[in-house]
Order: sequence, then structure tokens, then C-alpha cells
Amino acid sequence: MNLDDPKLTAYALGELTDPADIAEVETWLATNAEGRTYVTDTQKMAALLGEVLHSGEAPGLTDAQRAALLNRTYETNRTDDSDDSYKSQKIRRPWSIIALTALAACLAAAPLLPWTELLRLRNSSAPTMAISEKPMTLTMPEDLSGRVGVSPVTPAVLQDEVATLGLDKKSNTVAGASRLAKAESTPVGMTLERRNEMAGLTTNWAMNKQTAGESDGRTRSPKAKAAAPLAESQPQIIGGFFESTARVDKEGFNTEAYDSITENDFLAARDNPLSTFSIDVDTASYANVRRMLNDGQLPPKGAVRIEEMLNYFTYDYAKPEGGAPFSTNLEVATCPWQPEHRLVRIGLKGKEIPVAERKAANLVFLIDVSGSMDEPNKLPLLKQSLRLLVDQLGENDRVALTVYAGSSGLVLPSTANKDAIREALDNLKAGGSTNGASGIQLAYEQAVANFQKDGVNRVVLATDGDFNVGVTNQSDLNDLITEKAKSGVFLSVLGFGTGNIKDSTMEKLADQGNGNYAYIDSLREGKKVLVEQMGGTLVTIAKDVKIQVEFNPAVVSNYRLIGYENRALKKEDFADDKKDAGEIGAGHTVTALYEVVMVGSMSKEVHAEPLKYSSNALKQAPSLPSGEMLTVKLRYKEPTGDVSKLLEFPLTDDHKKLDAASKDFQFASAVAEFGQLLRKSEHTGGASWDSLIARAADAKGSDKTGYRAEFIELAKKARDLSKRNDS
Amino acid sequence: MSTAATIESTLARYERPLIQYALGLTSGDLAQARDIVQDTFLRLVREVAPPAGDHLGPWLFTVCRNRAHDHHRKAKRIVYMEKSDLEDSPSANTPAPSDALEQRETALELARYLERLPENQREVIRLKFQLDLSYKEIADITSLSVGNVGFLLHTGLRKLREYLSENETFNLRKAS
Repeated sequence: MNLDDPKLTAYALGELTDPADIAEVETWLATNAEGRTYVTDTQKMAALLGEVLHSGEAPGLTDAQRAALLNRTYETNRTDDSDDSYKSQKIRRPWSIIALTALAACLAAAPLLPWTELLRLRNSSAPTMAISEKPMTLTMPEDLSGRVGVSPVTPAVLQDEVATLGLDKKSNTVAGASRLAKAESTPVGMTLERRNEMAGLTTNWAMNKQTAGESDGRTRSPKAKAAAPLAESQPQIIGGFFESTARVDKEGFNTEAYDSITENDFLAARDNPLSTFSIDVDTASYANVRRMLNDGQLPPKGAVRIEEMLNYFTYDYAKPEGGAPFSTNLEVATCPWQPEHRLVRIGLKGKEIPVAERKAANLVFLIDVSGSMDEPNKLPLLKQSLRLLVDQLGENDRVALTVYAGSSGLVLPSTANKDAIREALDNLKAGGSTNGASGIQLAYEQAVANFQKDGVNRVVLATDGDFNVGVTNQSDLNDLITEKAKSGVFLSVLGFGTGNIKDSTMEKLADQGNGNYAYIDSLREGKKVLVEQMGGTLVTIAKDVKIQVEFNPAVVSNYRLIGYENRALKKEDFADDKKDAGEIGAGHTVTALYEVVMVGSMSKEVHAEPLKYSSNALKQAPSLPSGEMLTVKLRYKEPTGDVSKLLEFPLTDDHKKLDAASKDFQFASAVAEFGQLLRKSEHTGGASWDSLIARAADAKGSDKTGYRAEFIELAKKARDLSKRNDS
Repeated sequence: MSTAATIESTLARYERPLIQYALGLTSGDLAQARDIVQDTFLRLVREVAPPAGDHLGPWLFTVCRNRAHDHHRKAKRIVYMEKSDLEDSPSANTPAPSDALEQRETALELARYLERLPENQREVIRLKFQLDLSYKEIADITSLSVGNVGFLLHTGLRKLREYLSENETFNLRKAS
């Protein structure tokens, strides 16, 4: 016992409870004068500190803040009377906040830029981007417009403070003013991270629009009424924002995001017989476009990446045979939007790895569904990321789904049914607060109950890091995780959302759980973490998969690759094993479409300039096997290999009509048509919403997942929206 | 779901202590502290299964703490006082007044010295002496172990004691 012992302070403060400890301290004090002085000094200091820190009446909330809170309580209770199911719990905001969120979005130049784009922007090298310089003409309530006059309001501050703005006039003048003074010092350029946060704002607005509609007739604060018209003026502002986005584009920022807009044009087979690209298994664009359409907005062109739409759907391609890791499925039929053209489909399907060859995985997802996850770069991104992981799983892998928030629960008991897992993921909704401790216990129980001997046993915790809201004892949690790691159940921690306040907690947890901690701020990152890294231990079957199509100029005059713009490779990259390309997992399907103009066709799409020397040589081309229109060449590496292998598949046009083509072919053609119409492609020819909808409906097939049915609904929404826009 | 009545009583009980706590976390920015506390209560309102009884207090302080850190992180607006600010303090050279005054001076000086401590020690001291929370409650709020809280308090108080004894004017034995 000595003066450095914290027990001494605890004793002085009456915090020592263990009689043995008390006895120890008292025995020591009996013989130690210095110790006694310390104890009395500490007690005096405690009294002084209490006095100092208690001095003066502590201020409370302002009356208006308090009133807003109580008002909020009434509203929340009313909405929940008819809706007390835990899952459908949504955060509802009072009218004033809805309107003001919209206002804030307007002020910040209303970015309805899709969040994935924003995330991409964030990953790009440009650190800042300019805010729209377009002047905003808005009718604003007087008391707000004064503040609005300071144009470079920091959106991050806004987002944070929206709840306070307008709720309280008195505190606003204080809080608002000081805050804006700070905002003034912020340069006009804003960090991309903040953009990102703003995207969250806009989505909240969209989400709340519905709530706003429902809340008609409820008591609204006068201020909310004043601000309400602003919400209606939002769409115009959005238009303004897109103009500014285009401007940014021209200035050369965010190349990553917008390179893909430049649509592949028709190329002459004679001049460019080789078309080379990397496979892509991303599906984000479809989900993103879906979100926007469901919000009643047509997506900006740049958000429409057709290859990601095609690959969102799975197709029933033949399973690979022999030693190849994937099968190649070629089909050609009439191009639906340009009947004199042919549409060629290249479909790859990764082999399913037999049970015996792979370790089984037993994964338990533990997902934070607290209210704070209700932002586009959190729960939705989490769902997409985990979906990528699920896509990688084989037949004998099991997944259980547990959630935690105000309470924790088992959403999906351990199952190998991937559709069930996807559905459970899709159904997750944010709401409630976080209490991680019992959730993690539940997750480990699941993992242990389904333990795969010699397999991969892992709890995957996904959270925005607000992990210990509610009472969670950090050391108990650490102990639990350390202990469980010994049992062979490992922990992976995935962080979502911007700026994680519990970064260190999560990292520590993962360390203790023999796991890894990754921060996922974009789907690209999610893919990297969950497919390339985690998938590495699970099911990558081939990597650096490249496709090169060689067209026969004697048969094909022009061709156009639909989508895959940002996956283009140089023809010499094809055989260059140092050039990276996409990975394919077990059971994955990858689909690419070419629109092809045949030699002798009356199409106007023939662009080739006459050549002085080569044209004769081409006429002597019959040395090629007659009729072969193209050869698909594939290069891939084994997951652990460094040297690529080459596969070749020739295709001859069998002059099939569209309705004789497979259902999958027809459905894919409808998806491509949908994408091209959304993108306002130059090559839509006779494309029409109605015909693609009819074709998709006809080709829907069994559609166990319901994704195709959803596509049809989405196409109808897009049709109605574009009609409204055109009229 | 919390009813208006429970929110009202919760407000009555915790509003001021929370603001006091938040003030400590925001270097005395009242507007910001109010925002944080309002935000904290908004969370309580939204809570599907609101904490009750003994859990309520720690829950509120924990949320308040996290909100404050959020604010801090987003705006980087919290500026801690530098040591040099204290060293130039004129009061350090003030001659000794009467005993009663002296005690008050000591108390004020203590408050100033408090600012010299590392953030984690200062926070634990605030929770202990401003809000009269137990080690266990502080541990729950800060995600520290009880032992850790004890250690931080011990170290912080020893430091304060040292500061005070370095300065002859403000001696604990005189102050009594």
C-alpha cells in the first residue's frame, strides 16, 4: 500500500466497498501520517470541487427546445399507436424538422446526387469541389432568410443543427449566429466528406416526404408552416445542382464518377476488330437507380451503368463443364430496339465449388439497426455490401442474422438458403438505439451452435460505431470476445458511415476477437473487403477475368458494347497478365451485350471510312470459317495463380428472332433497353418503355426472388416519370 | 415508447445536470451544450425500448457524451485551454486575503487547475463531483472499467493537490 494506490482515493471518497479493501487501507493509514494527510486533503478537495462545479444555477434547455421535445413525444406516440411492430419502426420527425431539413438541403444547393456517386467522389483524388454558383432564388421566411444570406453554410453543421434551427427562435439567435459566424470562415469549397453527409440530408428529406404527407392536419408550429413551401420548391433546386455537377465534371474533378457517361459508340469491325473489357460484378447502379425512381426522381445519366443493371439479375446459364472455372454462354437474336441489328449476349457463369473442395463457412451477421444507421451510407450500404458477401457464398455456407438496437434479436436463424438471407437483409430497417452487448452475446451463441469444425466460423459485426449507447461495459465486452475467440469463432468488424467515433473500440474488439476491422465507406470498399478479402478465404474461383471479342469484319460491319464503359481495356492489355481485372466467384453470373450491325444490313450505323488498301484484303477474307460472326476470348487466372489461361468460343449467327431467344436473353435485353432509355442513349432507336415492360413481363420466368417483378414496376415508374418530364 | 409525462419528469431531473456535463465537454459553449442535450432527449423520445430506473441516468449521460463527441468531431469546435493560458494568470500572484475569501479563491483556482488536467481525468472528475455519480455509474457512461475510473480520479486528484501545494497562496490546510 502506498500513495500511488487508487484505493486511497476511493477510500477518501467513500467508494471503497469491499470490507477487505477498507481494512487494508485503514490498517495502513493507522501507521502512515502522510497517507492520512492525503485522505483529508482529498476530502477537502472533493468538497471544494463539488462547490466549484456546482456553483451557479446550471442553465437548462430553452423553453422552446423543451416544448419542441414534448411536442415531439406526442407525435411519436401518436404515430406508433397504430404501428407498434418493432421492425417497421421508423424515425419520424415533426413537421418543422421535415421542412427545415428540406430547407437545409436547399441552402446547401440540394444535392440529390446519388450517394454512391458521392462516395465515389470521395474516393477520387480531388479533395474539394465547388458548390453550385448558381444563385438561388427562393422565397424564404424573413427570419430565416437573414441567416441564409451567408451562403457558404457548412452542410455538416447544417445537418447537425437542423433539429435546432427553427425549433427555437430565441436560442437560434444565439446558437445560430455563433454557428454562422463559424460557417463564414469556411471556404466556399466543401470537403467531399461533407457532401456525403449532405447526401444523407437529401435522402432523409425524401424519406420524410411521405411522413410529411401523412402528417397533414396535425398541429404544426408556425415556423414549420412558413418553411413548408420551401419543401415544394426543392425539385427546381435539384435541377440547379445537376447543372453544377456537370460543370464540376468539365473541370476535371471526379473522373472516377463520370468517365462512364461517355457511351460506347458503334465501331467498325474492320477498323477495330477487337473489343476488350474486364468483367464486372458490381450491382450498385441498379440499386441506386431504384432508390431514385422510388423517390420519384429520374436518375442523372451518370448514375446509370448498364452493366451493373444487367449483373444485378442472375441468369440461368449452363454450369461449367470440365476444368474451366466458368461456362460461357453465347446467344444472338434480333435486337429489340433496332430490328435490323443483332443483339449478342455473352454470359459467364462461375462454377459452383463442390462441398468437398471448400471449407464450409458459418457466418453470423450482427447488424446495428439503431436509428443512427438510417443514413444512405450506413444501413443501405451495409445491406449491399453484405449482399455481395452472400453472393459469394456456396451451398454449404450458413448465415444467421442478428440485429441489435434498443433490443437485440435473431432475425434469421442460421441457414444456407441464400434467398432467405437476401430477403432478411433487404427487410432490415433502422430504428431504435444501440445496445451492443447482448447482441454480441446472441451472435456468438448462434456461431457456436452452428460451429463448423475445420470451417470458417465468424461473427461479422456491422455498425456505425455508436456501439455502446446504453450500458455496455467495455471490459466485459472485451473479455467476452477474447474468450470466444479461443473457441474458434472469430470476429470481423465492419464500420459504416462517416467519421466513426468509436473507431478505437471497434478496432480493439476485432483485435481481441482474432478478427479484422474494416471501414466501408463505399460499395467499392465493401466489395474489396467482403469479396476480395473475405471472399478470398471463401469462394473466388477465378481472378483477372478479361473478355476480348474479335469480330469478323466479313460478317459484322459495326458493333457496340452496351455498358462496361469504365471497364474498357486496351486490346494489348488482354494478354498482359500484369493488368488487373475483375474476379468471379462461385456461382456468379456476368452478362455483357453487344449490338451488332451485320455486313449488308441497311443500317445507317455504318460509319467506317473507306480504306485505300485494306478493303481488298477484306474481300478476300473467306479464309475465315464462313459465317462466324465473332469469337469470344476469355483470359483468367486461378485464384492463387499468376499466369492467365485462355479460352475461346466462336459464335455463328443462327438468325434467331427475338421471341425464339431464351427468356434470360429477352429479360437482359429489356434491362439494357431500360438503362439506355434512362441514360437517354443516342442509340435507343425504336426503344420504348412499353415494349420493354411487356418483354420483361413475358420473360420474367419463375422469379423466385421477385427481383424481376420489381424491375417491371420500376420500369413503369420510370416510364411515368419521363412522360411527365417530357410533357 | 416514452410518454410525454415520463419525458417531462426526465427533463425535470436530468436537464440541468446534462447541460452542465455537456458544458464541460464543449468548453462552456452553452448553445452547443443545449443542442447536444436536446439531441440526447430526442434520442430518448425515439427510443423503442427506453431505459428505465437505474439505467436511465447512465444512458442519458452516455448518449450526451457520444453526441458531444459527434459535434466535436464534425465541427472541431472544442478548443481546450492551453497551459500557457494559466501560467499568465494574474490571480496566481494575488496576495492572500482573509480566510473566507481565501477559501473561495482556492476553489476558483482549483477550477482553473482542473483545466490543466488531461481530458479524460477532467471528465471523470466532473462526473464525480459535479454530478455526484458513483465510480460504477461513471464507468458505465464512459465505457471505462471501475478500476480505470478509480485510477483516473486518483491521478487527477493527486495532480490537483500538487498544483495547489506548489502555490503557497492556495494551500489546502489554510483553506480549511
